[in-house]
Amino acid sequence: MNDISGSSSAGDAVMLNGVNLSLGRGAARVHILRDISLHIGRGEAVALLGPSGSGKSTLLMVMTGLERPDSGAVVVAGQDLRKLDEDALARFRGKQIGIVFQAFHLIPTMTALENVATPLELSGAHDALKRAASELAAVGLGQRLQHYPAELSGGEQQRVALARALAADPAIIVADEPTGNLDETTGHEIIELLFRGHRERGTTLVLVTHDSELAARCDRVLRMHSGRIEEPRMPVLSATRTP
Amino acid sequence: MNVSLAVRFAWRELRGGLRGFGVFIAAIALGVMAIAGVGSVAASLADGIAGAGQTILGGDLSFALVQREASDTERGFLDAHGTVSTAALLRAMARSASGETTLVEIKAVDEAYPLFGAVATDPALPVAALLTQRDGAFGAAVDPALLARLNLKTGDRISIGNATIELRAALTNEPDRLAGGIGFGPRVLISNAALRATGLVQPGSLVRWLYRLRLPATASSDGAVAQIKRNAETSLPDAGWEIRTRDKASPQLERNVERFTQFLALVALATLLVGGVGVANAVAAHLARKRDAIGTLKALGASGGTVFAIYCAEIVLVALFAAALGAAVGAALPFAIAYWFGAIIPLPVTPSLHPLTLALSVGYGLITALAFALWPLGRAHDTPVAMLFRDQVSGERRWPRPRYMLATAAAVGAFAGLAIVTSTEPRIAAIFVGAAAGLFVLLRGVALLVMAAARRLKRPRSTALRLALANVHRPGALTPTIMLSLGLGLALLTTVIEIDGNLHRAFTAALPEKAPSFFFLDIPSADAARFDGFVAAQAPRANVERVPMLRGRVVAANGIAADDLKPAEGSRWVLRGDRGITYAAAVPPGSRVVDGQWWSADYSGPPLVSVERKSAHDLGLQVGDMLTVNVLGRNVSARIANLRAVEWENLGINFVLVFSPGAFAGAPHNDIATLTFADGGTTVEETALVKALAETFPTVTAVRVKDALNTLDALIGKLVLALRAASGVTLVAAALVLGGGLAASQRFRIYDAVVLKTFGATRARLVAAYTLEYALIGLCTVLIGVTLGSLAAALVVTRIMDFPFVFVPQQAAAAAFIALFVTLALGLLGTVAALGRKPAQVLRNL
Repeated sequence: MNDISGSSSAGDAVMLNGVNLSLGRGAARVHILRDISLHIGRGEAVALLGPSGSGKSTLLMVMTGLERPDSGAVVVAGQDLRKLDEDALARFRGKQIGIVFQAFHLIPTMTALENVATPLELSGAHDALKRAASELAAVGLGQRLQHYPAELSGGEQQRVALARALAADPAIIVADEPTGNLDETTGHEIIELLFRGHRERGTTLVLVTHDSELAARCDRVLRMHSGRIEEPRMPVLSATRTP
Repeated sequence: MNVSLAVRFAWRELRGGLRGFGVFIAAIALGVMAIAGVGSVAASLADGIAGAGQTILGGDLSFALVQREASDTERGFLDAHGTVSTAALLRAMARSASGETTLVEIKAVDEAYPLFGAVATDPALPVAALLTQRDGAFGAAVDPALLARLNLKTGDRISIGNATIELRAALTNEPDRLAGGIGFGPRVLISNAALRATGLVQPGSLVRWLYRLRLPATASSDGAVAQIKRNAETSLPDAGWEIRTRDKASPQLERNVERFTQFLALVALATLLVGGVGVANAVAAHLARKRDAIGTLKALGASGGTVFAIYCAEIVLVALFAAALGAAVGAALPFAIAYWFGAIIPLPVTPSLHPLTLALSVGYGLITALAFALWPLGRAHDTPVAMLFRDQVSGERRWPRPRYMLATAAAVGAFAGLAIVTSTEPRIAAIFVGAAAGLFVLLRGVALLVMAAARRLKRPRSTALRLALANVHRPGALTPTIMLSLGLGLALLTTVIEIDGNLHRAFTAALPEKAPSFFFLDIPSADAARFDGFVAAQAPRANVERVPMLRGRVVAANGIAADDLKPAEGSRWVLRGDRGITYAAAVPPGSRVVDGQWWSADYSGPPLVSVERKSAHDLGLQVGDMLTVNVLGRNVSARIANLRAVEWENLGINFVLVFSPGAFAGAPHNDIATLTFADGGTTVEETALVKALAETFPTVTAVRVKDALNTLDALIGKLVLALRAASGVTLVAAALVLGGGLAASQRFRIYDAVVLKTFGATRARLVAAYTLEYALIGLCTVLIGVTLGSLAAALVVTRIMDFPFVFVPQQAAAAAFIALFVTLALGLLGTVAALGRKPAQVLRNL
């Protein structure tokens, strides 16, 4: 069993057990995740490193309920994702998981404020716009609430995306190469903000990256290769963070 | 699902503008405009006709008698209730001083005419001055067409019967003209005294006497009008007059307007359906552009249902905007018609807003948008979020979930239901809906077949042809779009064109060989032998058939009043107003007995009657039943002795009711005759005969069958013109859809063109490939559209209109050519834009 556990307790933010996933049909079918077991503790910051096609993004999608595994258990924030239907998964995602994409994926027809308010509105929050405004202020965009994505720089857009991911106070933040589309300085700023959110709110952070320096800032580094998580060859900083 | 959330998100989407919705909005607005326009114009016409009831009828009430004037008692009844004006209508021959003759429609009026409205003439003269006798001639105001036909001018004189008539003015408006029905000749307005002087009024002459009654202002309520009608029916039950009231001044006109607008409404619906194809394309393209946003929403916690709700709300908002736009233009149409054409159209239009009609048209727009959008919207439910993380797209559904297919079916059902329920002719609407649905499925099927065929064809050597074939069948090909929208539009236009062509042919080109050249009316019975002799001498080659002719109204069958009989639609005309009836000793030519026995030649017992088979069937009559008709103010009851099958196509003298000799003993009447040349006759022969007849028998009226048919043909031609114009709008919708489809595929085309150019394709070769592609698709569409349209027309002509269908190629070919041209022109216009792009510029951005 490919079991990479931080601490295996009931306090896990993420628990994967024997997860397998293949995509495609017939001859084109590819076994992408192979028997993955994984525990991530609450408040832990974990980096996922690995070459293209190793299955990092797919693993993120399984954790966020966007992709259902062929077999295996996925428990996130105490919720067994197998038991949720599609709509319940969407609601769960809206409340418990914040996602930051490499390509930002802001909705171009909405202002910065509306983009950040979207997950709150979708989960029925009445003070969505107010909370969104304060999240934007927290990432330094208090003056740009009414700007549309096209009127913002790449860094600003990613800050809006970060505010959006944090707005619903999720249990877990999932970031898929969040600095991949940014220059170094701007990327650095974003990473600071990301880790600040993680620290200040005690949010669990799962970060996909190519950057081993960035990975080193996390509590734990998981390396993926051909759909498996490799055993850690050496401790990076501290092996585990006790919840 | 939270509706306010969906609307809020939809609104955010739309805030930035309606880019990408151009074809969607145009298609829905065009269809809704057509429906709202037709509905509003029809309602304004109905209002106009209702509002002008007194004018059209010529009074608050009108009492019509045929072949006889009102008796003293009847006249006394009328005079007791208000002011009475008498008008006599008949057909007669007008003769110019040079001996030219023509059929005219005479209206002879008294001093009280008109009770409502005003007569307008050029030069403008008061009615009394127009008609009075002066210098040995009576005056007349005549239809300008008569002046042209006989080459006359005002001040000239003509003879009608034995009277000399001076043409004092051209008649430009006759207030009560609409109640009269179709006129076969130009109107001549003369005085009652002039009519007497013509000698045309003899006992039994085919004169229609109208007594118009104007009630005193103090007693002219609708209740009073209805009460007088009831009184007339109860106190003078045998009068046999047809009583009309101002609220139903011309039921036939109302019915015709209603029926015609019904056909226009169906064509308008077709426009909406054609546009629907554009809606489906536009929605699919819009959702494709929004894939990232949809994926993001789902990643942020929106369920598939929420995504559907948001984009459905967006489509509904856009559709509402488009429908409101169309409804506004449609609502303005009757005002525009009244403003620009009010003076020249022959019908009263009272333009006003008709909220229900407009709401219905908006409803149609919304339902159409939903019917075509729900399918692609349903697919958005399953937009994968995976593409936000990786490029490749896997496991995308082609079919939406069952609930969205059901919703689509419900919207289609709602459209069909609405079309049928709101129609005044539900059967025709149902046939239309069925045909449209069939066409849709068929065209879609053919499109798939064409694509499959293009896929399987052996790869041709020519690069251009190979590229063209690939473009015909590749995913996202224009084939289904063009075939559906243009095919549907062309099929509809072809249907209208072919029906029109066949009607035109039936009225002009292909008279049955045995069809008569003339009908002669009002041959005095006493002069019958002299008439026969005269015709035999003048036209020795012609065959003359002469029968007695009376006018009568069916008043009861088996003791049930005619008003209470509910015959099938096809035979209602038998009970409407007065009909020609005759009596005969032997079975009339052109018909045969199919049930019961013909009476013996010397039969002299109680009256018997022979009834045409279909009418008898529709009226629920059988051999042995009793039928009562009112002839010349007398009710005659006859037992049905037999039923006849009649060959109506021969245009000979055929009567629904033929009585036994002696049934109308003592009733004064004239004869009617047909004259048939063995070889159809020449114009010279016909003209000479009419001229001679007018001199010898000035009171006999000759109706030239060819002229009568030409008149009908011209009238139908005008109506069909409106239908054609409406069908043309459908083609505009098709062109819109086509343009939208081309624009949507433009990105792929630019990509293809650039890549091919990079690998050495010349522009000429690319143009050839694209031309071939559009020509291939266009040709298939044209073939299938014209074929399906002709089939539909053939069905209508043979099954509903009951005459043989002949394909009329010229105009269908013209329509096909236009459709093909539009396809090629629009397509190549897009191609030029695609070819103009520099490869480097595009490749950098790929």
